[in-house]
Amino acid sequence: MLQYLVILLNNTSVAYCHADNPLKECSLMPLETLKKGILFGMKQNLMIQYVFPNYELPKEYAKVIESIDNVKIYPIGCKPVTGIEDGNNADVEVANEVPEKVEAKNLVLRLAFSEMLANKDEIAKLFASGARINLCITDVERFTDGQIEAYKQVLNEWDAILLNLYKQGQSPQFNLLSDRMMLEKMHNCEAGVSNITLAPNGKFYLCPAFYYDEQTKVDNQLNHHQPTSDNAVGDLENGLDIPNLQLLKLDHAPLCRNCDAYQCRRCLWLNRRLTWDLNTPSRQQCVMAHIERNASRALLNDIRKIGEFMPEIDIKEINYLDPFEVRKEF
Amino acid sequence: MSIKIKERQYNVWREGNAKNITFIVTKDCQLACKYCYLVGKNVKERMPWEVAKTFIDYVLDHETDPDFAYESVVWDFIGGEPFLEIELIDKICDYIKVELYRRNHHWFNSYRFSFSTNGINYHEKAVQDFIKKNRDHLSIGITIDGTEKKHDLNRVYKITEKGSYQDVVKNIPLWLEQFPGGGTKVTISSADIPYITESVLHLYSLGIHEVNINVVFEDVWQEGDDLKFEEQLMQLADAIIDDGYYQDYACSFFSEHIGKPMDPERDNQNWCGAGKMLSVDAAGNLYPCTRFAQYSLRDKEAWTIGNIHDGIDKNKLRPFLTLDRTTQSPQKCIECEVASGCAWCQGENFDAAQTHTVFERATAICLMHKARVRANNYYWNKLYRKLELEDLREQYEANKREVKPEIC
Repeated sequence: MLQYLVILLNNTSVAYCHADNPLKECSLMPLETLKKGILFGMKQNLMIQYVFPNYELPKEYAKVIESIDNVKIYPIGCKPVTGIEDGNNADVEVANEVPEKVEAKNLVLRLAFSEMLANKDEIAKLFASGARINLCITDVERFTDGQIEAYKQVLNEWDAILLNLYKQGQSPQFNLLSDRMMLEKMHNCEAGVSNITLAPNGKFYLCPAFYYDEQTKVDNQLNHHQPTSDNAVGDLENGLDIPNLQLLKLDHAPLCRNCDAYQCRRCLWLNRRLTWDLNTPSRQQCVMAHIERNASRALLNDIRKIGEFMPEIDIKEINYLDPFEVRKEF
Repeated sequence: MSIKIKERQYNVWREGNAKNITFIVTKDCQLACKYCYLVGKNVKERMPWEVAKTFIDYVLDHETDPDFAYESVVWDFIGGEPFLEIELIDKICDYIKVELYRRNHHWFNSYRFSFSTNGINYHEKAVQDFIKKNRDHLSIGITIDGTEKKHDLNRVYKITEKGSYQDVVKNIPLWLEQFPGGGTKVTISSADIPYITESVLHLYSLGIHEVNINVVFEDVWQEGDDLKFEEQLMQLADAIIDDGYYQDYACSFFSEHIGKPMDPERDNQNWCGAGKMLSVDAAGNLYPCTRFAQYSLRDKEAWTIGNIHDGIDKNKLRPFLTLDRTTQSPQKCIECEVASGCAWCQGENFDAAQTHTVFERATAICLMHKARVRANNYYWNKLYRKLELEDLREQYEANKREVKPEIC
């Protein structure tokens, strides 16, 4: 069931997930389109998430933006000024390098794998900030089996730091390690299912990455050129039209529906980019998600040595990192 | 009707643990069959020897890779018409044999060369020399569609559009002499329906004891075709039973295993072997099945899974190797009371899908399958009643030949 409408206010709105935004030409969503988008969200009972560019929008946008309850996603250091401060804000700052401090309650930190390793200590310092830290690795497709040990090691080091914070009575939130400890079922991105993206052109996309691909005519299948690069799944005039919607859902993903790496982003865009099918994750996605899962399990076990913690959660010991290898046992 | 049909070696291999590896040696063919799914045939894309050799080396270098951990191997040669490239094929097969021996590969003496040919140049010296040289490791099927009228309705020469029946039928005796259990594959499209009965009986009269027929998976069917199809199959059932063909001849239309509901969990395997097979084309691109090469696709771009230089991108195989029946089927198929035996082609599913996926099952044959099931039920009810009245049922059961569905 749709719950969120992501509105890209500009072509250059900040990228906040795996895909970089390659669009350089500024193209602001027309005010009328924005109004229609908000109306669509209201009628569909959707929570609006605005994605901002790194410059201040024209003043007339502020009133329209604040005409509905919303979450703002913006580049760090470019907090949108709309004249309305939400006391209980869930706004999201997005950084492409490790910031010294976090002002919002949520930080999306987008780093390449090597950047993550190189900045592991600086990243660890953010755990005590009180903000939820969402680390998003931007080059998943280049992750190799040769990097498995390095990933395990850095997560183990972060486990120890998080454990200390728990010992001090804090409840740090770091997506790669703390999310799985809290989850009893899959909690993924759910692009196209629980959220949909409205682009500045007034069309809907499964997520911003599919819009980027369309606009840059970058083929989503790498060397695989499609007759059309139209990735839109509807528009404001005609509503949503998502072909094969069932294939976006968990029950139609044979690997994922049997998996318990519940914190996995299960990124459809990466699925399609790496396996060419939206409902099938690549080895890289599965292995990384399972390394995180196992590190979460270790952290959970360590926390429980201090005292009772999430007793209803059971993360079983497993002997694989890629469920594809044990698919015949499903 | 005392001829005992020998189990086709081809089927023995298909049932065993064999890896199927296909060379698309050419995209050229003498014919331009009207129902052919190969929309991109051409005379230019002929496989160079270097591509074939590099591919073979790649496959044999990966003997221990799980993708190649099969007891045996079927090296398939496909076109277009594969025998147009008999010299290349001969060189490929010689190289395979030498390399299997030199490497002490576990496929040595556990391999088969398989061909599906239009039969036109079957008698030519180069083809016959090849057959003699490789006789013990060969499976060859010649496609003949039935009567001359039915065959020439679709299987015509390119440019002249002259029917090819006479050029094929003259080679059938030689083929059956060399491959006595040889079966033929017949394809049915909308225009062929009125000729099914006479065509199957005609093939029997040529000495072909096993006729494998399937209706095309593409959406070509006209309103009322299912009823005409059912009528033809019932006529065929009458002829097979009344004239006693059922004892020694087989037609894949009739099977006791089709037309039953299927359990969503227990009977959830994929129909097709795409992804477990491996195909290579003249450019050295690799495919999960030839049906994913560009010349087979109407509306989609080719689904390559790598190339002979970089190898297989295993991520591109994951969708195929996780496919199951229910995930790709619409609800009407999952709930279908006569689901068993209803086939699909993964390539056609992909080509016809709304999105870039192999998880959307095409259902253009739905009514045709249901018609087949009705005629099939008629066939078995009639046959068993006859056998019971003649007190021959036990004898039939003891000797009956299982015709397995042709699963690609």
